[in-house]
Amino acid sequence: MKRDKIIIANRGEIAIRIMGACRQLGLDYVVVYTEEDRDSGHVKTAAAEKGNDAVFRIANYKDPNEIFAVADYCGATAVHPGYGFFSEDFRFARRAAIRNRPIAFIGPRWEVIRDLGSKINTKRIAKSLNIPVIPGSDEPIYSEIEAEALAEELFQKQRDDGIRRPSILVKASAGGGGMGIEEVTRLDVFRQVYRRIQNYAKRQFGDEGVLIEQCMKGYHHLEVQLLCSRHKEVVHFGTRNCTIQSTGRQKRIEVAPGFDPEYVAYPFDAYRVLEQIVNYSIRLAREVEYDNVGTWEWIVTRDGRPYLLEVNTRIQVENEVSACISRISKHKRPVNLIREQIRTALGEKLRYSQKHIFFDGTSIELRIVAEDVKRGFAPWCGTITRFEFPEEPWLRVYTHVPRDVAYEIPTEYDPNLALAIVWGQDSEEAKARARQFLSRTIIEGVDSLGQPIVTNLGYLYERVNDILRFV
Amino acid sequence: MEINLKDLLKKYKSHPYEDHEIKTAHTGIVHLNVEDGQEVSGPTGRWKHRPGTLLYVLEREGNPKRITSMYTGFVTGLRKELDSNFVQAGVPVMVIRHSLNKDEIIDRILREVLYVFPAPQRARYFFTPEVAAAMEKEGANILNIKDGDEIVIMSLMKRDTLLSYLGPPGVLYKVYFRHGDLIEQGAPLLGICSPERLPFVERMIQRIRTEWDD
Amino acid sequence: MDQKRLLDSGKYISELTDRINYIADIKGGIEWGSLRDLLDRVQAVRKKMFDLQEDELFVELDQVDRRLEFLEDQVAQDLSPIETVNIVRSPQRFTLQDILENCYDSYTELGGEGECNIDPAVVVARATITRRVKNKLYYHQVMVIGHEKGFGEEFRNGGCAKPWGNEKALRYMKVAEIEGIPIHSYIFTPGAYPVEDYPGAAQQIARNLFRMSRITVPIVAFVSEGGSGGAEAMGLADLRLMASRGYYSVISPEGAAAIEGRIKEGGKVPRELVEHCADQLKMTAEDNLRLKTIDRIIEEPPLGARRGDFKFFRRLRYEMVKATDEVVLETKSFRMFRSYALKRQSQERSNGFHDEFDIHIKWSLTDSEKKRLIELRSRKYRAMGKGYKELRQSIGSRLSEAVETVRQNYYDIRYGLLRQHSRQVQKLIEEVSSEGSVFLKTVTEPVRATYDFVLPKPKVTNGINQQDIFRRSIFMQDWEQYISPLANEDKTVSCPNSEKYGCRDLWVPDLYGEFCGVCPTCGHHFPLEYQWYLENLFDPGSVREFNNHIISANPLKFQGFDEKLKKAIKRTGRRSAIITFDASVFDIKIVVAMLYSDFRSGTVGSAEGEKFIRACDRARVTRRPFLAYIHTTGGIRIHEGTLGVIQMPRCTLVVREYIDSGGLYIVVYDNNSYAGPVASFLGCSSYQVGIRSSRIGFAGPRVIRETTGADVPPDYHSAKNALKRGHIQGIWDRREFRKNLFEALMTMGGPHLYYK
Repeated sequence: MKRDKIIIANRGEIAIRIMGACRQLGLDYVVVYTEEDRDSGHVKTAAAEKGNDAVFRIANYKDPNEIFAVADYCGATAVHPGYGFFSEDFRFARRAAIRNRPIAFIGPRWEVIRDLGSKINTKRIAKSLNIPVIPGSDEPIYSEIEAEALAEELFQKQRDDGIRRPSILVKASAGGGGMGIEEVTRLDVFRQVYRRIQNYAKRQFGDEGVLIEQCMKGYHHLEVQLLCSRHKEVVHFGTRNCTIQSTGRQKRIEVAPGFDPEYVAYPFDAYRVLEQIVNYSIRLAREVEYDNVGTWEWIVTRDGRPYLLEVNTRIQVENEVSACISRISKHKRPVNLIREQIRTALGEKLRYSQKHIFFDGTSIELRIVAEDVKRGFAPWCGTITRFEFPEEPWLRVYTHVPRDVAYEIPTEYDPNLALAIVWGQDSEEAKARARQFLSRTIIEGVDSLGQPIVTNLGYLYERVNDILRFV
Repeated sequence: MEINLKDLLKKYKSHPYEDHEIKTAHTGIVHLNVEDGQEVSGPTGRWKHRPGTLLYVLEREGNPKRITSMYTGFVTGLRKELDSNFVQAGVPVMVIRHSLNKDEIIDRILREVLYVFPAPQRARYFFTPEVAAAMEKEGANILNIKDGDEIVIMSLMKRDTLLSYLGPPGVLYKVYFRHGDLIEQGAPLLGICSPERLPFVERMIQRIRTEWDD
Repeated sequence: MDQKRLLDSGKYISELTDRINYIADIKGGIEWGSLRDLLDRVQAVRKKMFDLQEDELFVELDQVDRRLEFLEDQVAQDLSPIETVNIVRSPQRFTLQDILENCYDSYTELGGEGECNIDPAVVVARATITRRVKNKLYYHQVMVIGHEKGFGEEFRNGGCAKPWGNEKALRYMKVAEIEGIPIHSYIFTPGAYPVEDYPGAAQQIARNLFRMSRITVPIVAFVSEGGSGGAEAMGLADLRLMASRGYYSVISPEGAAAIEGRIKEGGKVPRELVEHCADQLKMTAEDNLRLKTIDRIIEEPPLGARRGDFKFFRRLRYEMVKATDEVVLETKSFRMFRSYALKRQSQERSNGFHDEFDIHIKWSLTDSEKKRLIELRSRKYRAMGKGYKELRQSIGSRLSEAVETVRQNYYDIRYGLLRQHSRQVQKLIEEVSSEGSVFLKTVTEPVRATYDFVLPKPKVTNGINQQDIFRRSIFMQDWEQYISPLANEDKTVSCPNSEKYGCRDLWVPDLYGEFCGVCPTCGHHFPLEYQWYLENLFDPGSVREFNNHIISANPLKFQGFDEKLKKAIKRTGRRSAIITFDASVFDIKIVVAMLYSDFRSGTVGSAEGEKFIRACDRARVTRRPFLAYIHTTGGIRIHEGTLGVIQMPRCTLVVREYIDSGGLYIVVYDNNSYAGPVASFLGCSSYQVGIRSSRIGFAGPRVIRETTGADVPPDYHSAKNALKRGHIQGIWDRREFRKNLFEALMTMGGPHLYYK
């Protein structure tokens, strides 16, 4: 492994975090950048550390040919995709694996990425393993009679479960991202909606397949962090709760662990639910021979029923909330999941098992974004003139916003300003520290019309109160 | 704004060309196919469908891409040291010096003389149906426009927006786009000439036509 | 010298000048023989005409005349094929106008006149032709259609019919049909004008052929200049006559030379090569008679008929009447025809030809005679153009022929009854037929194994193991097993639309594997080999090839073609450019003919035509939909000359029979489909579809530039433009080919898939 050289196929904050992990492992690396990112932090850091020969200007981060061409030229033996870009692109991973000069893809096997990349397929495998999934169809429906029968069944089931206002979702099977979805609350309008969606799907995607499932409401969004190796080892790093999201389903506050009965009371056995979702996640991971880091996303309803939503076959932005509360007995420091990801992808064994992993305290991640929460989380554009935050041993802040000079937020990317990870001995302390951090953070700036900056600091301060609770 | 035509012409006479820097579009190994000083031609054919002179081959991932000249002119500043080497994206390989012909000189000078209304966005542009019909009937440079006139439609992300003209009133002297063309942000869209300047501009063009030898 | 003599000498001089120029035309220049000298002498006489003594003048001219006669004999004795072509192209040759003036008694031009014409290259006239029987005159009405070369008349376009000119011809053929008068068609064309503007060169020729194949009046064609597809647009006839100094060819000798010599556009084609090709193409009247692509030759004077050869026109009139008689009589009772034929024989034995007939024959037909006329026309063409070879069939295939007979009887019984009887009977028959199919199965099953065909398996070239790429997953259907051999290389390619749509370079294993050769950004279709379609379009294991024993040959003994053929056979492991097979699509049984690019660019010759016909017949007999999937076709194979050209009407007639019996005929074009086949048996389909990124047309851009002098835009022949012009009905994505085909079969075919 020591001879490996990693090409980092990403930018910004994650590229810097990957570099840090490489440094810890003593691995060589190169970075790529585009003309617009010429002055970006990841380029500067890499050039300072590895020299100008370790940075390559490419045409586009999303062009796989550029990554492979640079990899071959500089002799890279592995590629880290970060998140976004190629991280869940099974074709990229497949090409890395089967090209004439293979390079290791730092992520799961491409077959796993492909097979878990489809929600429908994941649902089908999960069902076969008796893992609970959202009730509904697990393959596209083409017949109206079949669809209606299923819709009726779903309404009946919800009434049996004592749900007061049952409803179902009708979606275009080939769709995604909220396109072609409609909610149905009465069976007698179902046929009408079904036909509408079917027509839409046929027009839009050339495939009239439709999916039908129960519409879930008021649930919590939980995640299970797994780490698996190429040697069939599977461990978990607990759960986290990502329920607090913007209206556009963007996560804003993440907390680990996923529930804390010592902090709030739940109408169900929360420890049991957490144990359940961890065990289910591991069951699925073993079945598909999962072999890298991955996140299993779950929905947990008010009455404590978990349903598997999907699997993210990549490292996530919020991986560090989980890492922050996890300790491996041998090392006293929190675990570095990116480091573990690289190690396992390069074929190393874990060298520890679940019994060596301990959890300590509560961690909260806050995503500071320049957005107007009152106006539908509309992004704000302008120049940041002042950015200050406290430094504490229980706090880590990742930001690409410079604190010494004014910074104009680039318009082509989301206006994410910083990622703060707060740790506390318990949830109460973590919450208090999060609020302390937020109240002491100062962001100033103006937009082109001279209006002051709008951020979500106030929103985060309010919502931190809601962590881990069903509201 | 007073224009000294003499100086303008002098300027173009002393430097009657435009330099186009040829940069690599992406990474790869460069195989040069031209020499310094060599004459090259841009795409030809009625639809510009025949590619120009092969400048170099950029080979990446087993794909030798033929990079042909978009301009007619000659090669200068050729970086021979790049030949057969791996290069990054956006690396200058050579410069094509393109000699301006009479029409291009007129075009360039017009841009300095006319009030140029630029494209506010990278988008497709159309004339409004009424304007298009009027121009069809009477020719392009008959149209008088003034501040606030909505004569152009900007089509962006399939949404059409009426564009208000901002600038001095005058005659629409030159149109820099064809119906439905995709125009880069800031590229000239319309060239407007004030009515009193019109004779001057016409005279000027006449003069360039007679004075300039291709 | 008196005035009259002076006038005569003037005529004499211009006649001699014409004759000199005519020989120069034939020999390709004034420098041949002593032509230049003779011309100078005639010119000298003209200059000194008023100074010379009458005797001196005529002595000199007579000398030239004698000398010329000698030269003319010399030329006539040893006329080469290219010289025949030169005769046809000479401005002194007779044109359709001369025929109308001299062979017909009166005529009215229809659909325009002279320059005021939708297409001056095509002349249509309602005309009267007379027959003398024992000093009594009888008048026949006919519809004359043909090309007018109009020497000296620029607007005639040299007899190159525009698409709308051919449309005009067809319109008046239909008028003739309504009026019940025969059609005399005169072919004087170097080829059709290759523009795609509506109704489209290829598409209109195809429409003409298709309609002519069932027009219920006698058609007699006379060929002076038969330039390939352009000639066929009016040439499908019950009797085909040809001028003895005419030519009838698949391509101009210059065109063939440019292809054979791989001459670059604008390059000089060597004269020797042109002469060689003219010889190899077997384009003279004798050649064509021997190849049976024409029925008889009309003798011209040794050096060809010119505008003033009235004797020739008399003969032509006689021959046209006689030919029309024959066509009419063929449809009548056997005995009457015999007696007529005997009389004719006695006539010809006596002395050459008369222009007097023994009897008067009316040219109108009864309904049953019309039916017979169409049948005879089909039969006639079916017997033509058989320049293929047949391999000795294995026992298996002969057995399969036996099965075929059984099958034919079975289907005849089944559908014959079905058509006549009521619903109740139908139900009964369906019950019976299910038993019948059990019987059929037992006969066919053991045979199949022997006539299954083996696909040339794709070779894995290097490192990448395709098994790795397509490890089975739930996303794959059972039949998604075939991977294009193109996918076995670790490299990328650029999409041709990358500049327009910003498409990224595509990794070849992705492109030719998972993406089915389609650019995921812009949808551009990269060409895929025909095997891909065999594997992906039809139900797995349903493809059963037949008529493999019919193979391409070199019927004209075209020099060098044997080697080319051998190479193609070696390259493809196949022996013709067409594959015909039974297959099924989502359990719908169909018959398929597939022209593919690897074998001589999918060109059509005798073997291809024959296999197409047999496939079409098979679809008719088995009552199945018929799909022509055109992977690529480069047109008619020039090396088979008119034997190739004749496949155009020949196959169209068979398609017509199939469609008239209620068949569903679907044509799908892929990659490149050009020329003859599109202008006939493909273009005549009511349901034509293009695969995305395919090109469809009559002539390629180079030919268009060379014939029309105008350039065409790069996307001139694109499927999209073909759709805009109304030549095709839709554009299909390759990845949805199977689904769309199924849907087309269901919607166009209805529940019984055979809509009559």
